[in-house]
Amino acid sequence: MDKYDNIIPDVALLSKISGYFQQFLPLSIPEMAELARYCEIRRFPKRTILIEEGETDDFLNLVVQGIVMKYIRMPRGEMILQLATEGHIISAEISFLSRQPSQVIIETLEPTTLISLSYDKMQEALENFSRGEELGRRILENMYVKKDEKKYAWLAIGVRERFIHYMEHHPHMLQRVPQKYLASYLNIKPETFSRLKHLTRKRPGREKEVI
Amino acid sequence: MKEVHPFLIYLQKFIPISEKDFLAEIMPIITVRDFDKKQLLIKAGEVEDNFNFILKGLVRKYYQKGNVQINTQISTEGQMILSQESFHSRLPSEYFIETIEPTRVVTMRYDALEALYSSSHRMERLGRLIVTYSMVIKDRWQIQLVKLTPRERFLNFVTRNPELLQRVPQKYLATYLNIKPETFSRFKHLLKEHSRKKE
Repeated sequence: MDKYDNIIPDVALLSKISGYFQQFLPLSIPEMAELARYCEIRRFPKRTILIEEGETDDFLNLVVQGIVMKYIRMPRGEMILQLATEGHIISAEISFLSRQPSQVIIETLEPTTLISLSYDKMQEALENFSRGEELGRRILENMYVKKDEKKYAWLAIGVRERFIHYMEHHPHMLQRVPQKYLASYLNIKPETFSRLKHLTRKRPGREKEVI
Repeated sequence: MKEVHPFLIYLQKFIPISEKDFLAEIMPIITVRDFDKKQLLIKAGEVEDNFNFILKGLVRKYYQKGNVQINTQISTEGQMILSQESFHSRLPSEYFIETIEPTRVVTMRYDALEALYSSSHRMERLGRLIVTYSMVIKDRWQIQLVKLTPRERFLNFVTRNPELLQRVPQKYLATYLNIKPETFSRFKHLLKEHSRKKE
């Protein structure tokens, strides 16, 4: 990708960023345009490792198109921590925020387009954009709450419920993500996962697919 | 002022802040609260309104899983403790926070803290840095829980917090480190033998 080809060019993308930021802080159009100037677009083929273990992550990314996963390499294979699709934020955030080497790996599963904010640009935005600090804080608070919600919800429900709940809320993922990754993400044994898959099949006598 | 001085030192980790500024901006919104041991600061189901910084004592955060309490945080002097998820989202807390020892905390209320943050760019920055810090700590801990073996977690913890092994009941530490109680006792034993050999 041409290095100079990555300034946010079009209105459609601008509206995507604004949609994301508006959840946290009502922003005017000039404010949005100003914010967009700190961001860049990055495109990657499928199965590209964006951050390897030991590297420092310089980007906070919003997924515009595609799937990106975050995982830890364990002796028995990958342990999937996050599967980010359109509209989600993904980054090796401890590394990004603390400037320490990452313990997690970030990799695309599909061809992916990201809107990215580099660490340096974030610092600039925090200095120069008048509501940058507040926006930054609200995004972080939200990330904190989200992480915990996921952990808590999963601890509270059983394997079967976890599977059903996830498939109901993310019906496309079974097609888009290799099964072993989904199983790891949901913390379900691969054998059990295969067994549970029949729950997503069409049931006779119903119009709508039950997923 | 002398009593809450550790809190000023704590905030100075994030932004430069003079004693004068502290007195003018922070002091008016803090209260000092005392708790006996085994007292609840918050119950699951309540919305967290308090940002607490520990001046003295020992406090744990846990959730109830069936009839087991799972500890997710054990904090002492110089650390903050609150149900952040609830504090930020304004939704009911899933967690309990309870003192283990008699405890004295500095507390700031949610509304007062929000007002403080929005009072200036500098204070807003303080807010962002505090959230960043707590997220990094939490995330690091969660990664440790999956990446390290129980033995490594145990050794890590006791090396860093040797005094807590005495202060915290073993059953709390075991769930906190996600180590089975039997295994925990075995590790403790190893530790004793190890230090005896050193002598």
